[in-house]
Amino acid sequence: MNNGSVKVLVTSGRTLSQGRAMEKGKMTSDYENAVAVCELDSTAMESLGIKNGETVVVKSDIGEIAVKAKLNKQLVPGIAFIPCGPYFNFLLDSYTQHTGMPGFKSLTVSIDAAPGAKILTVEELTKMIKEAT
Amino acid sequence: MTEANNIFKDVPCTFCGCLCDDLIIEVDGDRIVKNTNGCPISKERFVGHTENRCLQPTVNGNTVTLEKAVERAVELIASSKRPLIYGLSSTENDAQREAYRLAELARGVVDNTTSVCHGPTILGAQESGEAAASLAEVRHRSDLVIYWGANPAAAHPRHIPHYIRQPGEYIKDPKQDRKIWLVDIRATTTARMADRFIRIEPGTDLEVLQTLRALIRGNKLDATEVGGINITELEEIAAAMKSAKYGTLFFGLGLTQSWGRHRNIDAAIRLIQDLNAHTKWGMMPMRGHYNVSGANKTSTWVTGYPYAVDFARGYPRFQPGEYTAVDMLARGEADVLLNIAADPVAHFPRAAVSHLMKIPVINIDPKINMTSQVAEVNIPAAIAGIECDGAATRMDGLPLYLRKIIEPPQGVIPDRDILRMMIKSLEKVMK
Repeated sequence: MNNGSVKVLVTSGRTLSQGRAMEKGKMTSDYENAVAVCELDSTAMESLGIKNGETVVVKSDIGEIAVKAKLNKQLVPGIAFIPCGPYFNFLLDSYTQHTGMPGFKSLTVSIDAAPGAKILTVEELTKMIKEAT
Repeated sequence: MTEANNIFKDVPCTFCGCLCDDLIIEVDGDRIVKNTNGCPISKERFVGHTENRCLQPTVNGNTVTLEKAVERAVELIASSKRPLIYGLSSTENDAQREAYRLAELARGVVDNTTSVCHGPTILGAQESGEAAASLAEVRHRSDLVIYWGANPAAAHPRHIPHYIRQPGEYIKDPKQDRKIWLVDIRATTTARMADRFIRIEPGTDLEVLQTLRALIRGNKLDATEVGGINITELEEIAAAMKSAKYGTLFFGLGLTQSWGRHRNIDAAIRLIQDLNAHTKWGMMPMRGHYNVSGANKTSTWVTGYPYAVDFARGYPRFQPGEYTAVDMLARGEADVLLNIAADPVAHFPRAAVSHLMKIPVINIDPKINMTSQVAEVNIPAAIAGIECDGAATRMDGLPLYLRKIIEPPQGVIPDRDILRMMIKSLEKVMK
């Protein structure tokens, strides 16, 4: 049952599949499958009324992007995880607290179920950013 | 280059800062066919070295000679007012040194990927010093190892099995005699390998570190919990840290990229210093790219500063937040980008990427990456540690010699030689 959006703190970081796919090549479907993912806890999945592998739209203050939801039973409610890469970075502002370092670990987002929504390929995502500039 | 039966032993891995130097690489013709001892990512790097390669220099998508690509790159840099040179952590030391020479010549800014990984670690160390340890020392002596905001199971897959869950001179049984703890905001795959997982609330690292400092100094705190951890548990953690014979704190981007940035590191360093009044403790950043540590070292040797170095006035100046790549791009300041062995389009936040797409980009990389898609000039490079030799620095500061295993693709040369060509050409223009 879809009860609307969930608000979470999303953090990014490395995963083994992201590392392997990155070494293979960023323009491969392996890379897209590894990084166009949002790991959610079971309460968020239930609240959104979605199953493992269905599409969600993640929205931050500066944009929104569709990625695949993945259940992570180890996560606690209120925290989500997106592997580091272009999909997470599309949502991230560039403020660095004057250190050079953006806030890769602390992005507040809302997540909506979006069954059937298209997940952009890495190439399409690059093209979309370029066209918007 | 040949070795008995085309099997190369003791090859250093050029994926992460562990630089594991026990790989056995088997070669068949011009391809690597087997990587023994490497982690899954290392196997992908070595066995998959021919996949997704950039093989020809291009300008605006058209194949050109290397000389023509270098000529166009030099034109772009020479006509630029504020060139930015970035990347450098997935290449070897000599290439890094050529990049600094180029930056000086072009009066540009040179930054490495440290600015988006352990830059705050360096800022913290500049403030409070460095309580360093070597990985060998940790293996031989450390009875308590804490990972804080790090997920080695995903990012440094052999860190625990190769360096930590191994016996040492004074640690005979690494499972019994050495305890591994993990402090993080989520139970990552590393939590399954650790003896103890301590979950803290996001953004509370600084408070937890300072609380531990206070408790180690013997202060009583008027608080029931800090960072989601009960004060009784914090007292027990502080006591265990004090009673360790030789403790080690490995910390990752969970500490450098979260709220507080270099202040978190400053607090962690001071915690280790406090502990050294009672027992022996060391700390080490979990460096990601295999030679990002080397990029800091070579940059410091050559320019005096570890990253974010500006040569606009003809001499080096250091200012994180101003000369760091994300800030330079997000402010719209850089007017040309020379990217070497990194992929800022994949790894920078959107405003920085958007500006990058408005300016000419020169991209030097062995593989086709996201930055290749937007670069005006693409120049393929040999993969250091596979197709050319060099030197790199492990996460604990140990320099290791990288070996050439096979020949690079026809006409493809190392980063350092591409940069030397650019310098030679730029010297004529900048006279």
